[in-house]
Amino acid sequence: MKPTSASSSCALIKDGRFGFTSLLTAHTYHWSELGCSTIVAMVGMSLLRSAAAFAVRLSPLKSGNTAANLLTRTIPRADKVAVRWGHGKKMFVVKPTDYYDRRFLRLLQFYFLLTGIPVAVIITFVNVFIGEAEMAEIPEGYEPEYWEYYKHPITRWIARTIYDTPVKDYEKMMAVIQIEKEKADMRLTELEVRRLMRTRGDGPWFHVPTIHKGLIDNSPKSSPDN
Amino acid sequence: MPADFDKEAYPKPPRQTPVADKQTALPNPALILSKLFYYSVDLPVTTFRGVVDSIRAQNRSVYYHQKFRRVPDLTECVHGDYLCYYEAEMQWRRDFKVDQEIVKVIQERMRACQQREGHSYEQNCSKEIEQFNEVSNSYMSRYGDLGAYSSGRKCLMKQKERMMAAQAQSAI
Repeated sequence: MKPTSASSSCALIKDGRFGFTSLLTAHTYHWSELGCSTIVAMVGMSLLRSAAAFAVRLSPLKSGNTAANLLTRTIPRADKVAVRWGHGKKMFVVKPTDYYDRRFLRLLQFYFLLTGIPVAVIITFVNVFIGEAEMAEIPEGYEPEYWEYYKHPITRWIARTIYDTPVKDYEKMMAVIQIEKEKADMRLTELEVRRLMRTRGDGPWFHVPTIHKGLIDNSPKSSPDN
Repeated sequence: MPADFDKEAYPKPPRQTPVADKQTALPNPALILSKLFYYSVDLPVTTFRGVVDSIRAQNRSVYYHQKFRRVPDLTECVHGDYLCYYEAEMQWRRDFKVDQEIVKVIQERMRACQQREGHSYEQNCSKEIEQFNEVSNSYMSRYGDLGAYSSGRKCLMKQKERMMAAQAQSAI
């Protein structure tokens, strides 16, 4: 069955003598249009492929390949699938599960939109029905409230309801600075007082407690500890 | 609607629409398309805008431009008076923001001029370009490389360096 030379095998194929031209009919190529050498190449390749498929199925190690039916049964051909257009045969495609991925994305969507949609609706309604403020000159003798210095209605609402007036924030900061300044001044004076008391020796901080001067025995003694 | 812009700063370019001179009996496709666009897009959008404006007219509110009192500068503060330092610092920050906005306005004017004049902007917008150069140079010399942690004190020190450099320059 080995093709002796390219030309002879071409002649044989064109005659239809070889049994494996049935293989060629399985492909949808019109082999009359192709060149002879390409047909030989294609035949060789498809031969190899089918031979490999045959060998896999026919190996005695696989289950179902008992000695009785190895040679007698018909072998299913995987490369010869009938091509049908339109409503095809339903296939169960085996692939790893995407349940967890889809569940994650579904839950992400849900929790994102749970607050996202109300927020978007609120912002749309505020912008459409209430609208931004217009710039105006401060009228004579009128002190505007601190939230009336902002343009967008939501900013105004936040400034009115949640934040303190900026004057109060300023004063709070100034109070903190004042307290820290007083603390720093006190620490400096304390250091100065310690220094002076230690050097002059008359300050109460460096007095050492001793016994009453009336208890001192001033009589002459024979040894230091008597 | 917000207040109208300054008409002298952004002058309108001269109109360039040609006079209509119809010489054929065929319909003008440009006219047809423009009418189509008007009725399908322009009119619905304008009516919607009118509806929304009429709703907004009931809830009109105003906002004002806050004016701050001037407080003593950093140079007028007694040494160790941290409250005076804080007030001067806040005032310096407000002035910094105002200067940034001034530069932005001048830049916007120059960009509008360039857009208006097209390819001949270099000679027609020379006033705006010169104004922008002057303003941005003075901004850079005052606030230039102060960095992210800029403060009134650092700006004052930069001014001192500038004055020293100017003095050294004039002494030479």
